[in-house]
Amino acid sequence: MNIIGPDKLIFAVDDVTACKQFALDYGLTQQDDVNFVALDGTGIEIHSKDNASLPEALSTGSMLRKTLYGVADQETVDAIKAELSKDREVKVLDDGSIEAMDDMGFVLGFQVTIRQALDLPAETINAPGAPPQRGVNKTGVSKEFVAKPRSLSHVVYFVPDAVKAEAFFAERLGFVTTDRFKHMGPFMRPAGTNDHHTLFFLNTPPHMQGVEHFTFHMSGPTEVAQAGNALIEKGYQSFWGPGRHIFGSNWFWYFKSPFGCNIEYDADMDLHDEQWVAREAMPGADNSQVFLLHYEEKWAPGGPPPPKAQ
Amino acid sequence: MDKICIGKISDIVEGQARGFDPMHGGKDSMFMVRKGDQLFAYVDICPHYGSTSLPWKRHQYLDSAANHLVCAAHGALFEIASGTCVQGPCLGQKLSKIPFEFSSQNEIWISLTIIKEFEL
Repeated sequence: MNIIGPDKLIFAVDDVTACKQFALDYGLTQQDDVNFVALDGTGIEIHSKDNASLPEALSTGSMLRKTLYGVADQETVDAIKAELSKDREVKVLDDGSIEAMDDMGFVLGFQVTIRQALDLPAETINAPGAPPQRGVNKTGVSKEFVAKPRSLSHVVYFVPDAVKAEAFFAERLGFVTTDRFKHMGPFMRPAGTNDHHTLFFLNTPPHMQGVEHFTFHMSGPTEVAQAGNALIEKGYQSFWGPGRHIFGSNWFWYFKSPFGCNIEYDADMDLHDEQWVAREAMPGADNSQVFLLHYEEKWAPGGPPPPKAQ
Repeated sequence: MDKICIGKISDIVEGQARGFDPMHGGKDSMFMVRKGDQLFAYVDICPHYGSTSLPWKRHQYLDSAANHLVCAAHGALFEIASGTCVQGPCLGQKLSKIPFEFSSQNEIWISLTIIKEFEL
């Protein structure tokens, strides 16, 4: 199954105005009344919780109504339809996408991807011993900054049975487990991307089922830090970060949000292929990150000027 | 003085909540919310992890209808009057309720003993 990754996350929220403002302040671009997108066209839809045209809400209160995956071509959409039709209803929607429920009760959609190819440089660094990534007289940072999320990266779900959830995505949709936290859940990537993960499952009690967080890829760690700093300057509150994960190696900074879940910035994720052998580790603080930093308001050391010459 | 004044009753209006930083630690450690003619004060820590605060922005502790307190990390909902989580990861657990008193000038006072006990 040549699934590339999530194209869209469809939310039905309590406070539409607050969520739309959050999406804009996060750096997404408003495409129409409900669509807020990254540079490659992937993104989120923000609807009211009263919108009856959307898939039904989970009984847990999660505001995520649907995860819409992008796939390589129509043949892949057809293959997924054939596979899932073996044991469940698969709807074909007016836009040609298909919709079905996974084994946890999450609604999934599949469409020929809207993800556009990007041709943009990554954040560059210079280091002794390596050829310069950023040439002479090219400066690395500027106070003038606008966050530009590039691509919808991954979604993390609370699930009541991570073993069952993993089996569905592996056996029915061709996802591969790249790493695993024992007794907690797997990091998984679909066949159409080398990203370390586009989803992660957290094994939790049934009343927690829902989305734990989602995130977009940024150009590098500096943009993660600068974007997070800008969110804090706008009054938003950090949940976890900035820091750098071990599994996936991605930089992270999570923020609380009015979407009923955390929203992250991430950058510089590991890439893997079929040669990779999944690792296992016990969950916990020490295995979750190589370091964790905390925000401080801008400050600088200094002293008074020297006395004037007599 | 064995207690401190954190504000006036009129600072907390119906349908809104308000965070407070009584010891000037740099971030809100507690919040107050009104329901009808009653005021409630809680420690600004969600029982889910027991170490993280609730709002996504300062003073944003309520849902849009002001029916429930909300933790913005994972959308947990709490009853305003009891602090009991009725939906979300910490279902059935409670926010820590802080005792306080009013003065005859409608000021809100919290004793230093309580501030120490709740680590505000």
